[in-house]
Amino acid sequence: MPLIRKPTPSNATPAPDPASVLRALANGTDDERWAAARAAPAVPGGVDALGGALATERNARVREAIFTALSRIGTARSVEWVLPWLRSDDASLRTGALDALRRMTTGVVPQLPQLLHDPDADVRLLACELARNLPSEDATRLLCGLLESEREPNVCAAAVEVLAEVGGREALPILERCAARFRGTAFLEFSIRITADRIRAQSSQPRE
Amino acid sequence: MSDGPAVTEEELRRLCDFLYRRTGLVYTEAKRYYVERRVFDRMTATEVTSFANYFARLRSDAEGEIEHFVNAFTVNETYFYREDHQLRSLTADLLPDRVRDREADRAIRIWSVPCSTGEEPYSIAIWLLENWPMVDQYEIEIVGSDIDTGALEKARSGFFGKRALMRLSPYLVEKYFLPAGFETWKILDDLRDSVRFSQVNIVEPAETRPHGQFDVIFCRNVLIYFDDASRRVAAENLYENLMPGGYICLGHTESMSRITPLFDVRRYANAIVYQRTAGNAYG
Repeated sequence: MPLIRKPTPSNATPAPDPASVLRALANGTDDERWAAARAAPAVPGGVDALGGALATERNARVREAIFTALSRIGTARSVEWVLPWLRSDDASLRTGALDALRRMTTGVVPQLPQLLHDPDADVRLLACELARNLPSEDATRLLCGLLESEREPNVCAAAVEVLAEVGGREALPILERCAARFRGTAFLEFSIRITADRIRAQSSQPRE
Repeated sequence: MSDGPAVTEEELRRLCDFLYRRTGLVYTEAKRYYVERRVFDRMTATEVTSFANYFARLRSDAEGEIEHFVNAFTVNETYFYREDHQLRSLTADLLPDRVRDREADRAIRIWSVPCSTGEEPYSIAIWLLENWPMVDQYEIEIVGSDIDTGALEKARSGFFGKRALMRLSPYLVEKYFLPAGFETWKILDDLRDSVRFSQVNIVEPAETRPHGQFDVIFCRNVLIYFDDASRRVAAENLYENLMPGGYICLGHTESMSRITPLFDVRRYANAIVYQRTAGNAYG
């Protein structure tokens, strides 16, 4: 039979040497930096080394691994390192940062009110997406707070889209006011109508 | 509990949107009965009496509800030759590509993870013996791994019931199995001994790494259960366990593109698979 069986490998792999991990992250080849990024969450000082490496890393695969590693750590410190990249002009960095923040809901929550009122409309728009994973009441409160004063229709549309999934009934009057402010902006009026219909249709009656 | 009042059209849409974003499973109004029945079953099981409350519970993943809910939507049965279109692709597309320009003395390595009670790795072995003309020209190593030691013990024992064998022809059952009691068969020792089984948690690099690199990985119907962060780590681990140019096959409802850009999509006549491509932006 051409099928062969080899001995079961030992699962014991030596713990990475912290100094060599940090060295490889800064100066290694692509493969070494990728491996170091994956090992760094287990190394003291790893979060800052990973965060710092984001600024200089040019290889897309290693950058992805850094984002994954930072979100695995998931502390307020890793959120701090990722947040500035929401403002990046490089779409892949911006998306990488958004995906990483989405995976760190707990760490992101304290930053959300500020992000939703950031002077940069692109940041506010991306922040709406981060609210999606919050409990319904929290997401509704935050997004409604944004909708009350938001002047940028695209940002409103992003908030409305998230409310379509998570919004509670308390969002209905705010949606109405938002629609009134943007009368004539057809796509937003349409989006608000659909979202309001969805929220109204939520049954609150218990099943027999 | 009766089926009670139906889930409204808008509630169904919300639920289906959530299900799609979380798992990639697509359901619409056309499948209302199917979806509703599963929602009501879960509401009964969790003693939640309104859809709104159940949906809130689901979104917050209270007591692992997402896993229970997804379980209700996926067929967890495992049996020989399940999703055999991927096995067809293995011999028609993937292996011919992997052996092109390969020295004959380098073994082909195939990993079934998670392998549950062994039906998948044994299916791969039988399929290759029956359907790949080049099977005698290469050494082929098949490894089955799972986190569940009970499942692995069953896999190693090689005993299977009637339901597990339902997709195999009587010819194949007679050729590769021996009767072993009422509606029970035992896989031939030669075949059983050709597959190695090991325990692994695919989100732990320290456990996946020692398995080395493979030409083809079958990783079906498991990523769907992970949260986003674990899914990413698992995908990176699998990437590391693939040789450059190697392939990964996921379950038919799963998509690697929704998890990570590390792999390239390859569309073959029989299956969509993902490849670790050396030359892409992530190589």
